[in-house]
Amino acid sequence: MNKSFLPKGKIMLLTLSLVLLSSSMAFAQTEEAPDLGKVFHIGIFIFFALVFFVLITLIAYHNSEDNEVPSLIKALSFLNSKLTNATPIENEEAVLLNHDYDGIKELDNVLPPWWKYLFYVTIVWGGVYLFNYHVINIWPLSDGEYQEEVKQAEAQKAILLGSGALVNEKTVTLLTDQAAIFSGGEIFKKNCAACHGFKGEGLVGPNLTDNYWIHGGGIKNVFRTVSNGVPDKGMLTWKTQLKPKEIQEVASYVISLQGTNPPNAKPPQGTLWAEAPADSTKKDSVKK
Amino acid sequence: MQLETFRYDNTIVKKFTLATVFWGIVGMLVGLLIALQLFIPALNFGIPFLTFGRIRPLHTNAVIFAFVGNGIFMGFYYMIQRLCKARIFSDFLAKVHFWGWQFIIVCAAITLPLGITTSKEYAELEWPIDILITLVWVVFAINLIGTILKRREKHMYVAIWFFIATVVTVAVLHIVNSLELPVSMLKSYSIYGGVQDALVQWWYGHNAVAFFLTTPYLGLMYYYLPKAANRPVYSYRLSIIHFWSLIFIYIWAGPHHLLYSALPDWAQSLGTVFSIMLIAPSWGGMINGLLTLRGAWDKVREEPVLKFMVVAITAYGMATFEGPMLSLKNVNALAHFTDWIIAHVHVGALGWNGFLTFGILYWLVPKLWNTQLYSKKLANFHFWIGFLGIVFYAASMYWSGITQSLMWKQFTPEGTLQYPNFLETVLQIIPMYIIRATGGALFLTGIFVMVYNLVRTARQGTFINEEEAQAAPLVKEPTKYKGHIWLESRPIQFTILATVAILVGGLFEMVPTFLIKTNIPTIASVKPYTPLELQGRDIYIANGCNSCHSQLIRPFRSETERYGEYSKAGEFVYDHPFLWGSKRTGPDLQRVGKKYPNLWHYNHMMDPRTMSPNSIMPPYPWLAESTIDIASTAPKISAMRKLGVPYPVGFETIAEQELRKQADTIALDLQKSGVPVESDKQIIALIAYLQRLGTDIKAKAN
Repeated sequence: MNKSFLPKGKIMLLTLSLVLLSSSMAFAQTEEAPDLGKVFHIGIFIFFALVFFVLITLIAYHNSEDNEVPSLIKALSFLNSKLTNATPIENEEAVLLNHDYDGIKELDNVLPPWWKYLFYVTIVWGGVYLFNYHVINIWPLSDGEYQEEVKQAEAQKAILLGSGALVNEKTVTLLTDQAAIFSGGEIFKKNCAACHGFKGEGLVGPNLTDNYWIHGGGIKNVFRTVSNGVPDKGMLTWKTQLKPKEIQEVASYVISLQGTNPPNAKPPQGTLWAEAPADSTKKDSVKK
Repeated sequence: MQLETFRYDNTIVKKFTLATVFWGIVGMLVGLLIALQLFIPALNFGIPFLTFGRIRPLHTNAVIFAFVGNGIFMGFYYMIQRLCKARIFSDFLAKVHFWGWQFIIVCAAITLPLGITTSKEYAELEWPIDILITLVWVVFAINLIGTILKRREKHMYVAIWFFIATVVTVAVLHIVNSLELPVSMLKSYSIYGGVQDALVQWWYGHNAVAFFLTTPYLGLMYYYLPKAANRPVYSYRLSIIHFWSLIFIYIWAGPHHLLYSALPDWAQSLGTVFSIMLIAPSWGGMINGLLTLRGAWDKVREEPVLKFMVVAITAYGMATFEGPMLSLKNVNALAHFTDWIIAHVHVGALGWNGFLTFGILYWLVPKLWNTQLYSKKLANFHFWIGFLGIVFYAASMYWSGITQSLMWKQFTPEGTLQYPNFLETVLQIIPMYIIRATGGALFLTGIFVMVYNLVRTARQGTFINEEEAQAAPLVKEPTKYKGHIWLESRPIQFTILATVAILVGGLFEMVPTFLIKTNIPTIASVKPYTPLELQGRDIYIANGCNSCHSQLIRPFRSETERYGEYSKAGEFVYDHPFLWGSKRTGPDLQRVGKKYPNLWHYNHMMDPRTMSPNSIMPPYPWLAESTIDIASTAPKISAMRKLGVPYPVGFETIAEQELRKQADTIALDLQKSGVPVESDKQIIALIAYLQRLGTDIKAKAN
């Protein structure tokens, strides 16, 4: 008689499909390493969940009247009798009630101690939780947590700006190297072309190739306009979508389009922007 | 004592059996279709009725109320007669119950694809159907209580306790959550607004899981498992403790669906602690199930019925441990709005409800047709392919949920979002969507195998319409019992006590949220919607936009960076119903107002892929062709005023004019951008609504 709960063929099938599954999942992995702290949390959670259920299934499983039970199962059986404090099957007459519902009988085993204490612990935990959050207020509520998160981010940003690792509209400079202009162009095609046209000729948004500007020309103004957007006129805020470096690149690319005269160009809008091409970064910084 | 002879009615069981299988297939086919649409958007065939937003509710409703619902009644009508040693109270009412329930399902299957919906999850059906549900439920209740009252068995078995709790609680949940003010035959507004509506909805939504998908199925488990295993139930006292603690505690846990939302913090905390306290009561059912199999595990290896049941109970244990874990703030911060939740509910739906139903079917059909199961081999095949389906489904959705959430939250060292473009995080998980659909297809394949097996089983036997039984009548005698066993012989007192137990939690959470003003601080700059925006909102609802887009920004920097200021309770006071959503297949829309030009929205609706290449959102070209139901504006305005939205008196009379004025402005703007659209088209109203979203407090912030 086949004593195995899972016949071999089925185990193979199961393993194979799990391997397939996990390998296809590997494709979906993000390239960047995700935040390790979070992964750690999830890992712990999954680990405990698995352990719990393997244990429980085994505990229930061990009770078969098999003589050839493996030692692991025997050990678990011992653990189980401790954990559940159940009356052994041989003596179950002792806890058999005289209930008979359509042939269903009922035992009256004691509550499994582990279960009972789990219940108590969760109740105490609940009390402590409410007490700490809402009575003595030592744990921050949602808004408190959020303010703390923002404060830390601001502090971090101040350090980066100070070190020059981060650019903003005050510190930005025009990039002219080919690599930067090229990647700026890529960003432009992906994000800006839908409204400004593939050559910057203007569609919904204004023409970017003439020297008329609605919100000021020059790298600092263009950087600011791209960063903050002009929500009333439909220009998006890009600082939440692009990194400062990328905004610098795309702004530099836009400025490189000056005077390219693409076909179907939209008529000029805004005011004429005068600047000395060789020295753009100094002059335009005053314009607000 | 003189034995009485009576007969059990099996025909009603047969009817519900057929309905369970039929609707199970329908519901899961729809599920498979929407799973495929997530990576092949063209599978809606360009038909509005088949768009994801409209048929996702059809899938959830079909599986919950049609498949599981009929499964409950199937198991119930067989079991209750035998546990009470009495024929069903009324054959006629049983028929009304059956046909009434099927009629409701058909109504749902017609109205939901037509976009006739309240938008409240698992309660989408409009008010006339809500009334019908109430009536049919009352018929069910009469048959349950009536059969209990004419029983020949002194005490009620634990399975009946669970059904009593189910009948009472589902009635309370359904009625309270469905209170709505009709505007027309097919349109109503929830009487609750914003945060309050959210609280009521998730009190309902959570307890629909508790009292529709859990307690009746526990009742079925307590009957069919010991029957199939031929073993005594493990512990009577565990039954008592876990029954009462389960129904008392479950009802409090609803707010865990609203952690880090605009719901007051104290209510969120109650949701968390009661969810944690729910672990042991839930596991009580699992323990009593699994330990009942002590000494019967050799049978489990042989008997497909028991295999299905063991996996069902284990899935129940997993889902009811995971649920409380998801109610912890830090886990919830990660999991909410992602596919993790989809995985969680499917472990419950496919594993617990699905497998327990299959186990019961494999046991019941041979009994009803007085024969043996046609093929154990096919049943075993069903077991393994179904199990594999669940593994594929759950594993891929866990992976997808965690991956996407981490991407949403990832910052660069410079302090900006690593994946600012929402679409990028969607495209990353497309392979998981493919695996999920595969899992679903495997599960469904198993069902087809089951249908074949059951049909062959029925063919080889003969159906027993009426089954004869004998029992002594119940004699009135002075009670000699005390404590719970006394209660088990007193159905009325039992029902009253159960009702009290399930009312406490809801009242404790709702009354303060409704009555204490500081719970929802008002914001002066928040104004009612204009008539056009209101119409646009109804178009948003009709198309089920909330199936994929939330309108709730949580207080995390990763969300405020992406979407804008986090949601405040006072912003939603005029939202009847609330539209926070529960899943972000697309980005949050609460602050989408004024973020893009009108033309962007127009182009995006006509074909999302022109504005966001590779987007999986379906196009909505018909919005530019269908017209706004302008005549409904005045009744809608007055309905809203009745619900407390401060439109000035007599505003109805100028509402239509206001609507046209605003519509013309938008149409003109589109025309200027080169897109001529008539101002009475639905797209105009939808754009008006989208452009308004979240702007009331933006204005204040600037």
